[in-house]
Amino acid sequence: MSCKEFRLLLSAYLDQEITEDEEEKLLKHLQACSGCARELEYLKQIKRLFLLKEKKEPEEFFETRLFARIKDKERQPIWQVYLPAFKKSILVVLISFLLIVGFLNYKKFFYQRPTEVVSDLLIETRLEENFEEEILAIYYGPPSIEERRLGR
Amino acid sequence: MEEDFKLLARFKKGDQQAFELLVRKYKMVVFNTVYSIMGNTQEADDIAQEVFLKVYTKAGSFKGESSFSTWLYRITVNRCVDELRKRKIKIISYETEFSQDEKLRLKDVLASREEDITEDLRKKELQDVIQKAMNSLPEKDRIILTLKEIEGLSYNEISKVMKISLGKVKIWLFRARQKLKEKLSFLFPEE
Repeated sequence: MSCKEFRLLLSAYLDQEITEDEEEKLLKHLQACSGCARELEYLKQIKRLFLLKEKKEPEEFFETRLFARIKDKERQPIWQVYLPAFKKSILVVLISFLLIVGFLNYKKFFYQRPTEVVSDLLIETRLEENFEEEILAIYYGPPSIEERRLGR
Repeated sequence: MEEDFKLLARFKKGDQQAFELLVRKYKMVVFNTVYSIMGNTQEADDIAQEVFLKVYTKAGSFKGESSFSTWLYRITVNRCVDELRKRKIKIISYETEFSQDEKLRLKDVLASREEDITEDLRKKELQDVIQKAMNSLPEKDRIILTLKEIEGLSYNEISKVMKISLGKVKIWLFRARQKLKEKLSFLFPEE
């Protein structure tokens, strides 16, 4: 094992998280390697700093403030409680919906469909036919039932 | 552990007092974990309250697959990570350079015997200096060092809280310690 590998073991050794076999090898190495032995001393000093560190107390009336917040939350309508959590999902769904609708309909906005052109022509032809009938009606009066049957 | 499960079961049945007992038991744990990760007491207080609010609303979904404390640590760490990501910073931008005075005081503390460090002022100073060093580390290193050095969790517990393998716990802790050692290099003579 190299010094690099032994140094990885040092950290676990400090936490008493190595196997007996690893510990035996490490202790043997430490006797022979002054660099790794020094490294262990530094790590021990850092660990000692944490051990000397005192625990901090939360601000005053922690529980009282917490229970007031719980009561407030319970008074809120359900949608107000859950809406913030789903805000992102709702936005994603909405954007996806708009993108899909846009993709499916973009042709409508940019191109005129050929079928519509054909139907426009038909309407024009029909208008012209009506026009002819109207002129005949002005000159000869409205067609009789017989004339209508024969198609004037 | 059994006691926590019993309290939680009572709370699920509607016993508010059981929840109060859980808060009283774990408030220091949650607060100090958050403080060590976030590096600010005001923020730690607020986030610790949110953690308990989450426990209150999500207690029903806790299936008891892990211990209550592991579940609580997971909620706490996740809440801190969310908060840090919301601010889109990995390292809290507090002052992280040590003054000459701080360096001397830290050296002095390390040179003295534990029983000599009794004055409150010295303890508080030491706490601030260590926190300053912690604040200068990336989020991942701060979390793993907090769980190991402040909370004293085993590698197995850390792997459950952080959802990483035991091998990763070993390597991440090694790297975090190396980075901390670099920050505190003024304490150690040149190699």
